[in-house]
Amino acid sequence: MSDIEGSPGSSMHGVTGREPTFALSVASPMVPTDTTANFDLPVDSEHKAKVFKLFSFANPHMRTFHLSWISFFTCFVSTFAAAPLVPIIRDNLNLKKQDIGNAGVASVSGSIFSRLVMGAVCDLLGPRYGCAFLIMLSAPTVFSMSFVKDAGGYIAVRFMIGFSLATFVSCQYWMSTMFNSKIIGLVNGTAAGWGNMGGGATQLIMPLVYDIIRRVGATPFTAWRIAFFIPGCLHIIMGILVLTLGQDLPDGNLSSLQKKGNVAKDKFGKVLWYAVTNYRTWVFVLLYGYSMGVELSTDNVIAEYFYDRFNLKLHTAGIIAATFGMANLVARPFGGYASDKAAQLFGMRGRLWVLWILQTAGGAFCIWLGRANSLPIAILAMILFSIGAQAACGATFGIIPFISRRSLGIISGLTGAGGNFGSGLTQLIFFSTSRFSTAAGLTWMGVMIVACTLPVSLVHFPQWGSMFLPPSKDIAMSTEEHYYSSEWNDDEKKKGMHSASLKFAENSRSERGKRVASAPTPPNTTPTHV
Amino acid sequence: MAAPRLLLGFLVVLACFSETCFAAISFSSLRRTLVVTASHPQRLLKAGEDKIIVTWGLNQTFPAGTDSAYKTIKVQLCYAPISQVDRAWRKTVDNLSKDKTCQFKIVKGPYTTTNQTSEWTIERDVPTATYFVRAYALDAKDNEVAYGQNTDAKKTTNLFEIQAITGRHVSLDIASVCFSAFSIVALMGFFLAEKRKGSKAQQ
Repeated sequence: MSDIEGSPGSSMHGVTGREPTFALSVASPMVPTDTTANFDLPVDSEHKAKVFKLFSFANPHMRTFHLSWISFFTCFVSTFAAAPLVPIIRDNLNLKKQDIGNAGVASVSGSIFSRLVMGAVCDLLGPRYGCAFLIMLSAPTVFSMSFVKDAGGYIAVRFMIGFSLATFVSCQYWMSTMFNSKIIGLVNGTAAGWGNMGGGATQLIMPLVYDIIRRVGATPFTAWRIAFFIPGCLHIIMGILVLTLGQDLPDGNLSSLQKKGNVAKDKFGKVLWYAVTNYRTWVFVLLYGYSMGVELSTDNVIAEYFYDRFNLKLHTAGIIAATFGMANLVARPFGGYASDKAAQLFGMRGRLWVLWILQTAGGAFCIWLGRANSLPIAILAMILFSIGAQAACGATFGIIPFISRRSLGIISGLTGAGGNFGSGLTQLIFFSTSRFSTAAGLTWMGVMIVACTLPVSLVHFPQWGSMFLPPSKDIAMSTEEHYYSSEWNDDEKKKGMHSASLKFAENSRSERGKRVASAPTPPNTTPTHV
Repeated sequence: MAAPRLLLGFLVVLACFSETCFAAISFSSLRRTLVVTASHPQRLLKAGEDKIIVTWGLNQTFPAGTDSAYKTIKVQLCYAPISQVDRAWRKTVDNLSKDKTCQFKIVKGPYTTTNQTSEWTIERDVPTATYFVRAYALDAKDNEVAYGQNTDAKKTTNLFEIQAITGRHVSLDIASVCFSAFSIVALMGFFLAEKRKGSKAQQ
């Protein structure tokens, strides 16, 4: 292939560049396999896996996947462990509604900061130690629930346990060292979704453990404290497993990671600037607060809601609440899949519509949940709400990779932080005050979801269009190359720093949907000697 | 023909899950015909230790035959208004099946025309709050038909405070510290051991 413009082999005429974002495997020759490597899975030149084999525990790639998502799952279990036991805790500690609400806010706020620090920790120590350090140093915070005697202590401990949600960062970071970038989307999405399931599993586990401890003979106000030893021990077990069974890189060497210089070659200030000045970033920060954010808020309030409103037993309320979080097993991947399918047919406009439909439907079902007066209707509304919100989370990350190529990391991080921030905000407004009941709080939260999802209609890509507007008619502006290279200034372009962005632009032409025609023939390319 | 019937049956079962299936008894429809007194030490009462002596019986100013329907008496510990503020899970509502004012059973037994007394040790799952005592008279179908309480109608007099157990234990605290220490020591141990192995390999 020659680099001379117009020479044979350089034309993009007829090339469609369709590439699914969520792929289960990437075949040669798109990414050549390293045949000298001796791993269970086919690997590329960096020894990252090219195939995602779900039910394998083969060292190191799939073993890393399982260690990673289970660690993240464990942290979700401990962060939301108090939620299903609140009916007991509120009597023991003499809590008021504001205290319960504030504790819920605290439990999701800590990780906004810890996730930012975690990136740096993974850069310094590697993801294996990043994960192990966090999970084993947050074990004492889980155990310290046995010391709590009033609202202040309760809020403080829940805040500290919430720091452990930064395992999300170590999880995604670790897998990007183990899996090829063409399949990393699905791998990370599955890990994130399965980790989030912990918020549902804990609503089953904790009341069950509490029941068993009570039967053995403990009084309620002691039994719930003993129950917290279970998530605490899970932290220690997972930490030890990560340290003994895990490795940083496919070849096992942390030092070579540092020698190769995984340090970003780009300037942090510039990357941050292009993330922050792109208005789409902020639209998605807001939106994720009302898909992931409301999922976290609901994890915190739903068990207590069912216990009080329908006079259920503690473990019955826990089982119902668990189905909300466990729907993540399929709902979040489904959202990503729906987004991809829509992109095949309608391009980026399809992705935006799918996101709007899923998230608004989630909001509508949340309104219905708040207004449901009978138990079966409430359960039905809750399940539909969970599918809508969690699929919207998956659909969001089907779009995020296309907002920017240069600042993808920071935009992902900001979006994630927006999720936690949205959770804190909704819990503060709707579930920390006695002005309205939890049922009314759920209804108004649903209204806010619908309202805060409307801004997705403002997201416009000149090369692909938006929900209501077609792509730009301007020939220069309507190319993917123009959009992605606008993040680099002329100096940087001269140095060729934007070459990765150009490659990405080529691959992203699939976001035109069925409309993908070949790129327009560039001028001045008819060879002179024809 | 079976399908519509099945659907109807299903809908009926579904409807029965909603509260409208049960005949709602309202508190305001009950007559206050019982006299209830509660005696206890005149200080902050401790759950699990202190005792309350409850006495109840028919108010003799009512005509004979008022209590003909009374078959059972249920005496309960109930939250005073000050302990219901900002705590919707203790709310007082008129519909007795939804009322959350009285959540602890002191004693339940057959009704007799003479006054009865019961000594009750405060259970260890009673939370810290201000309380009063109320007795419901139930008929043969276990429906409330009358009541009495040791406080006035506005629930302001004769209230008493109970202090709950903390639920904490020294053994639990020690176990907590041990597990936490193990976690930190194990982590540091692994980290230092691997660092030493790494520097040995480089030598």
